[in-house]
Amino acid sequence: MKLFRRMLVEEYRLHSRLFGSTRFLAFPLFVAVVVGAGVSLLRLTGTELSAVVAGLHALVAFFGLQVGTLGLVGRDAMRDVLGDTTLLVFSARTLPVSWRRLLATFLLKDLVYYAAFFLTPLVLGFVPVALIGGFQPAQVALLWLTLVATFALGAASSLALVGLGTRSTGGLLAVVAVFVAVAVARTPDVVTATPYAFYADPSPTTAVTAAVPIAVASVLGPLLFEPATGGSTRRIRTDRYRTLQRLPGVDGLTARPLLEVARSSGSVWKVAFSLGVLFAVTALLLDRIVAATGLAPSAGIAFGALLGLGTFTTYNWATQFDDPREYLRYPAGMAAVFRAKFRAHLVLAVPTGLAYLALAALWYPVGELLVGLLVFPLVAVYVAGLTAYLTGLSPNELLFDTLLFAGFGAGLAVLAVPLLVAALAAGTAPVFANAAAVAIAVVCAVVGVALAHRAGPRWERRLRDVEP
Amino acid sequence: MPAVETAGLTKRFGDVVALDDLTCSVPEGELFGLLGPNGSGKTTTIEILTGQRTPTAGTASVLGHDPVAEPLAVRRDVGILPEREDPPSFLTPREYLQFVGDVRDVRDVDDRIEEWARKLEFRGILDTLAGDLSEGERQRVMLSQTFVHEPDLVFIDEPLVNLDPMMQEEVKRILEAYCEAGNTLFLSTHFMAVAEELCTRVGIIADGRLVAERDPRTLEEGALLETFVSEVEGAEAPAGQPVEVGNE
Repeated sequence: MKLFRRMLVEEYRLHSRLFGSTRFLAFPLFVAVVVGAGVSLLRLTGTELSAVVAGLHALVAFFGLQVGTLGLVGRDAMRDVLGDTTLLVFSARTLPVSWRRLLATFLLKDLVYYAAFFLTPLVLGFVPVALIGGFQPAQVALLWLTLVATFALGAASSLALVGLGTRSTGGLLAVVAVFVAVAVARTPDVVTATPYAFYADPSPTTAVTAAVPIAVASVLGPLLFEPATGGSTRRIRTDRYRTLQRLPGVDGLTARPLLEVARSSGSVWKVAFSLGVLFAVTALLLDRIVAATGLAPSAGIAFGALLGLGTFTTYNWATQFDDPREYLRYPAGMAAVFRAKFRAHLVLAVPTGLAYLALAALWYPVGELLVGLLVFPLVAVYVAGLTAYLTGLSPNELLFDTLLFAGFGAGLAVLAVPLLVAALAAGTAPVFANAAAVAIAVVCAVVGVALAHRAGPRWERRLRDVEP
Repeated sequence: MPAVETAGLTKRFGDVVALDDLTCSVPEGELFGLLGPNGSGKTTTIEILTGQRTPTAGTASVLGHDPVAEPLAVRRDVGILPEREDPPSFLTPREYLQFVGDVRDVRDVDDRIEEWARKLEFRGILDTLAGDLSEGERQRVMLSQTFVHEPDLVFIDEPLVNLDPMMQEEVKRILEAYCEAGNTLFLSTHFMAVAEELCTRVGIIADGRLVAERDPRTLEEGALLETFVSEVEGAEAPAGQPVEVGNE
């Protein structure tokens, strides 16, 4: 319990020191306001509350799955056995506490934090619209409970998958293959084993069915996870750094993040996983929108837009191992560094996103998906430029910095809202909707390139002036 | 022309004065040591002189370049070894040094990598991921990246940290030979023995102020330590007590 309390304090100090207490504590208020405004807007468009609730569960599941992949980062930090010990979770070498217990406590702490600073404000933002729509207070409480459980399921599942991957790549591939097969066949319906099923039909049976996967994943995650401390020494025989530089547009600054992503825990598969989660969420949302509204949204625009927005996670992986100040020692300048990160982002994200668009052809008409081939890379360009400009080489700092998060959210909304409107309008005016989507994406890509171009001088200036 | 020259260099972080009116000159070919306790402003000085940080006031010249206005020119011409930095965990030493060679536009980098790996005895780990190396091995790789482009001036923050005694001796010989060849070395340390043994001139810095300069070769054994203690204690004296700055 002491460890848990210390980790809570550590998390608070980490964020409040990074962004200032006010900006950190304003984050829940910001979430509540944004959710309240978003849900009100959806209600004005005639969206059913049940569809909104389903969307909230999908959003939270996606978020939980992404948070669980942080286990990959933690694994690399633990592997660096002689490196700095900066967080309690990495202190198994010095404290008389096993790393499994540290990891389990860390997960529990994360659940409490996200519940307090993200999920509770999310539900509070939904409350006014829900009460006006005829929700009972007990239903709101139930929603809170199932959203927290959904987050736990997402985070624990992805950590368990990461853990399995640390022991057996074959085992991981087998489990993922089973999930994909079940999702394709839709038998059994995986949603019945989630907290959303309990929300839709609260009963002892659905409660148990929802609780068991969470419990299993929560136990399996820390049990399977191998931090690989003190393991083998890895030797690289081939000259991959030079090989990568033979690719067009790949210089040394670009080759480095590509190698870092490929050699760190999860390799390039973590890029595929992050976009894969978004692919599944998009498919689920398309399915629910069709069921709830009867509209026929364009799968090409929807996948292109949402997968493109999801490449934020790719930028995160491409900058994961950077100490921005290191680049101040080189004569290349930060502008060259950001150009390289931009290229690395596209090298990693574009083929992966296009592969998912190809996969979508299994369920959606190919003609409808073609527009996605244009929209996706253009959106990825915009996201890379926006993220680089706003966050530099530390995109993780977006989380819980209210001002930065608001700016980033607004920047994404400028692109996402018109694209999603175009996707919804495609059923009635397909040619116009597709042309509009491509035009919006082109304009945003141009803006993205301009932002990426300005990111270098901006961050060079900031890093030279910032306090140590 | 001095390799390094500063006038009234000052850096404030909010209310904290990290560097206070630093004026000094380091001629070419000198092995200059900046000696001071932890948090005295040594690292901030190096960061400003190498264009990594902007001073609040004052001017500086490094190999004829202004590090504020021309940071890239300074970084191109000098070598920098920061106190706490490792080679990237997921690159091998060979790849990291190739990377440094690329960003510094070094043509025959592969030959130079072999040369430095031989000098600092890490040929056996050239193709091992840096994350799997010991601290001492990482420091040897970092020392190599400092010299791989054959700069005329090098800034080093604690050169011997994490090295075993034999390698420390080897590095000392390399640093001395580097200066004997007409190059300049600006070294920051809080180890008295390093300053005494290596440096041709030592500047003592305390609370961001350069409080004394000495030539350790002309001092009796233990005199530098005595000067250091008295000057540092003087600098930390309560406000109102004058501090004598000894520039010999």
